[in-house]
Amino acid sequence: MINVPVRAAAAVLIAFTLAACSGKPAADKSAEATANAPEEKVLNVYNWSDYIEPGVIAAFTKETGIKVNYDVFDSNEMLETKLLAGNTGYDLVVPSGSFLYRQIKAGVHSTLDKSQLSNLGNADPAIAGRVAKAFDTDNAHSVNYMWGTSGVGYNVKKIKERMPNAPVDSFAMFYDPKIVSKFADCGVMLLDAPSEVLGTVLIYLGKDANSEKPEDLAAAEKVLLSVRKYIRNFNSSAYIEALANGEACLALGWSGDVLQAKSRAESAKNGVEISYNVPKEGAVMFFDQLAIPKDAKHPKNAHLFINYLLRADVAAKNSNFIQYANGNAASKSMIDASVTGNPNVYPSEAMMQKLVPDLPESPEFNRLLTRSWTRVKTGQ
Amino acid sequence: MNGRFRNTMLVLGLGFLYIPILSMVVFSFNNSRLVTVWDAANSPTLKWYAALLDNAQILGAARLSIEIAAATATGAVVLGTLAGLALARFGPFRGRAFLSAMTTAPLVMPEVITGLSILLLFVALEQAIGWPDGRGFLTITLAHITFCLAYVTVVVQSRLAGFDDSLEEAALDLGARPATVFWRITLPLILPAIVSGWLLAFTLSWDDVVISQFVAGPSASTLPMVVFSKVRLGVSPDINALASLMVLIVAVCVVCSTLWMRRRERQRQREEQMARAAGG
Repeated sequence: MINVPVRAAAAVLIAFTLAACSGKPAADKSAEATANAPEEKVLNVYNWSDYIEPGVIAAFTKETGIKVNYDVFDSNEMLETKLLAGNTGYDLVVPSGSFLYRQIKAGVHSTLDKSQLSNLGNADPAIAGRVAKAFDTDNAHSVNYMWGTSGVGYNVKKIKERMPNAPVDSFAMFYDPKIVSKFADCGVMLLDAPSEVLGTVLIYLGKDANSEKPEDLAAAEKVLLSVRKYIRNFNSSAYIEALANGEACLALGWSGDVLQAKSRAESAKNGVEISYNVPKEGAVMFFDQLAIPKDAKHPKNAHLFINYLLRADVAAKNSNFIQYANGNAASKSMIDASVTGNPNVYPSEAMMQKLVPDLPESPEFNRLLTRSWTRVKTGQ
Repeated sequence: MNGRFRNTMLVLGLGFLYIPILSMVVFSFNNSRLVTVWDAANSPTLKWYAALLDNAQILGAARLSIEIAAATATGAVVLGTLAGLALARFGPFRGRAFLSAMTTAPLVMPEVITGLSILLLFVALEQAIGWPDGRGFLTITLAHITFCLAYVTVVVQSRLAGFDDSLEEAALDLGARPATVFWRITLPLILPAIVSGWLLAFTLSWDDVVISQFVAGPSASTLPMVVFSKVRLGVSPDINALASLMVLIVAVCVVCSTLWMRRRERQRQREEQMARAAGG
């Protein structure tokens, strides 16, 4: 609802900060000066809503005596707007990959002091490597918290009724008009995330998911327009509830969110069975990264908390609860088999090769994309 | 217009307004976690009300919201009454059009713009003079006063425009100083407008989410912010329970304030009549 204007506000701020980012040395210096002073036992965390096991924070406080003020946001745009305005008061934030990339460029985040992160050895080099390549060179500013894919979430019974041999492991479910038209009556939803959805269409078309060629965009737009009339709406959160209570039967959604819809339907015992598949064509991968803003007042506590989250048992607890894969190789053996054994959460090695990150796009391409996305959403 | 048509329209209108609220109240007693599934076997239940009392995050946010709303309403009423008085009583002074335009501008300003500009102001101020130190209760309250002020001003101003200023002139004629006139004559007469302005500002502050999101700092999440961020994973039914309690409280307050205002209005009319009779 408020996303679009907030997105615009974020864009204004980016322009503003990039222009003025060299003008902030004073703030950096004062941060350095206080770095050696003992910190008060407080930590201000800003994370996605419902994105941590509730007991983890209490356990951290018990162990370290640090009081955690834990606030939540529900869109990368809101986080970015606050970060770029500066002085958020937060010591630890969790932006997603392509947003992190822009924020690092704007000089928002400090480099991590890896000597304070003794558990960094637990991190999965494969995930850290992908992040380093795409968003954060040498992983200097961030540590992976969770990652996932966007794929096919569906209501098993309703899809079967309408099309017994439906290709539920393929993007054809959404992008082939002959197939998606069969499900129009039971509710098809797409994410309202332009660059990710574009990536999935390009993968479906057998092209590079991060292509910035105008002709690829045009081809993708054509596909989206051809299926537009079968899609009920574009939303990045409502599909969880809609899938769980049977209002929607097919959604392009994020892995962990669809799995939460599944467990919610199970606990409600309403006869709805939800399943999630990473499409066989490949998928777009996202990374939520732990980072410390430069103007954080408690950077040491933030390092302590990152180090705590990197502990294998803690990372396992979080993954068990929110059902996302984490970037912590050591925790894998401690995570419930129902999570690690699910190839749609922890994909096979062959599948991993087909996953591509959603890279940040250039401002020029972003403009084209936004325009094209508006045409798709309005169906013109 | 015949009576049946009128009654039908009344029922339809009331239904349109209140059926959504009623359904929310009903579902707050639903045993199932999913909003659309009525678990007939185990409902009605009070378990979401119990869950609500256990949810420190929501209760803390609710308390913060009430405090902010009360502070905002009080601040906005003081400033808004002054602005309303200046606009309605001080004649065509220099800069009147400017003041009038500026106080009512927030009425038409998109909230995102207000929120962003106030945020930038706070950040710049903090860098320049070290105040406000961080963001939280104070900054949210200041931002809320900014946009609530406009509403209070309009309410007070129209009330002042609607009453006879001969009452004030009479008091001045009889030797009262302007300050006495304000406290003894003007203020009691516009009190209903001030009260409704206060309630209006309270409500606006209570349910604002956009501006709050911009100017909030660590551990200062208002209730609408918490509810809104929870929507990502679907609203859990304890929010229904909380909303039902709020509807109950608001209903009681509205009924009380309406009764009180009606009584005051009647009393005022009676007094005016008596004054006229005595004067005539």
